[in-house]
Amino acid sequence: MIPGIALVLGVVLGLLLQPSVPLWLQPYLPIAVVAALDAVFGGVRALLDKIFDDKVFVVSFVSNALLAALLVFLGDQLGVGGQLSTAVIVVLGIRIFQNLAAIRRHLFRA
Amino acid sequence: MQNERVTDSGTPPRADAHPFVSPSLFVDITTITVDPGYVEAAARRAADPSATPPRATTALALTALLALGGIWGVAAAQTRDRAPAAARIRASLVEEAQRRTSATDRLAAEQDRLRRETAAAREAALRQSTAGRALSDELAKLELAAGGARVRGPGLVVTLDDAEMAGDDTENRITDSDLQNVVNALWAAGAEAVTVNDRRIGSLTAIREAGEAILVDYRPVSPPYVVRAVGDPDDLEPAFVDSPTGRRFRTYVEAFGLRFDVDRAERLDLPGSETSRLRHATPAGTKGAP
Repeated sequence: MIPGIALVLGVVLGLLLQPSVPLWLQPYLPIAVVAALDAVFGGVRALLDKIFDDKVFVVSFVSNALLAALLVFLGDQLGVGGQLSTAVIVVLGIRIFQNLAAIRRHLFRA
Repeated sequence: MQNERVTDSGTPPRADAHPFVSPSLFVDITTITVDPGYVEAAARRAADPSATPPRATTALALTALLALGGIWGVAAAQTRDRAPAAARIRASLVEEAQRRTSATDRLAAEQDRLRRETAAAREAALRQSTAGRALSDELAKLELAAGGARVRGPGLVVTLDDAEMAGDDTENRITDSDLQNVVNALWAAGAEAVTVNDRRIGSLTAIREAGEAILVDYRPVSPPYVVRAVGDPDDLEPAFVDSPTGRRFRTYVEAFGLRFDVDRAERLDLPGSETSRLRHATPAGTKGAP
């Protein structure tokens, strides 16, 4: 309940405050969005598996987001930024889908 | 510490040297979907039940969730903002183009007026002597032949327009070569003077395309294109309608839905074209001017 409120509060704050994202950071925003999605679904799935852990949640989100951003940054320097963004989104996307499937099995037993 | 491979498919874990490093990357991507950290932490708690998560990490997790939501909110706001920005830039470019076009129109009108004044002054000067009068008559005849003088007379009005379902490219659209063909067919049919959207076609007038706009005499014209031709309608109409171009356009009307109307007109009033354009000379200031 409280985590959900925190999440919604974050969305509302982001929408209302609209901090201007610096130009050099803008390519990483979509990556951050997908990493955040992955962290949330991973967390919910772990919660339903009854193995959720606060520390793991924070560390996995931060490290995944940093690693994804680092990969894209490296790719930008090498001229393959677009492809590496795709790679990151594909891998995270697969995980999101698998976690969603696990959550669905937990909730609906189907 | 007991590590357990968590797989979705329920397959038994492989006997790898390290439980979370596998040579088969794609199998791992699709089977190990729960973060191994959760499994390890759960195993640690199972081994030592007294180790409950401290309050600090719970607060940290809530902060992370807040940041997470913040990222989504900012991303949503950014995406929403960016589309209108692109539209704004396009609108300002359109406005700029329209402003410049109207400025050019104003200058063209000014030029027209000045040319008429010059012609009137020249006429007045030439009328003062017999030789001048002869020159003036000669000039009038030549200007008429070159398409520089205003003319009026009966003729044809040909109206062309894009099909209603015109696409983004030249499909189902009137192109510059269509207009060229129509104008040439009118000349061939015996037209004595032709305008396209009130721009007189002189000996130096080009009909061409720049981007998706058609330029007549280097000025953009937009559909519907009205081609007026002065000539004897009784000769002009059958000759034009039966010309290869006329027949082709009637096919276009049926096949693509283009508009192609040919109407007779009792009286057409066509402006003159620019015949005495300076090409090499530029104004050298008022001092040296005669």
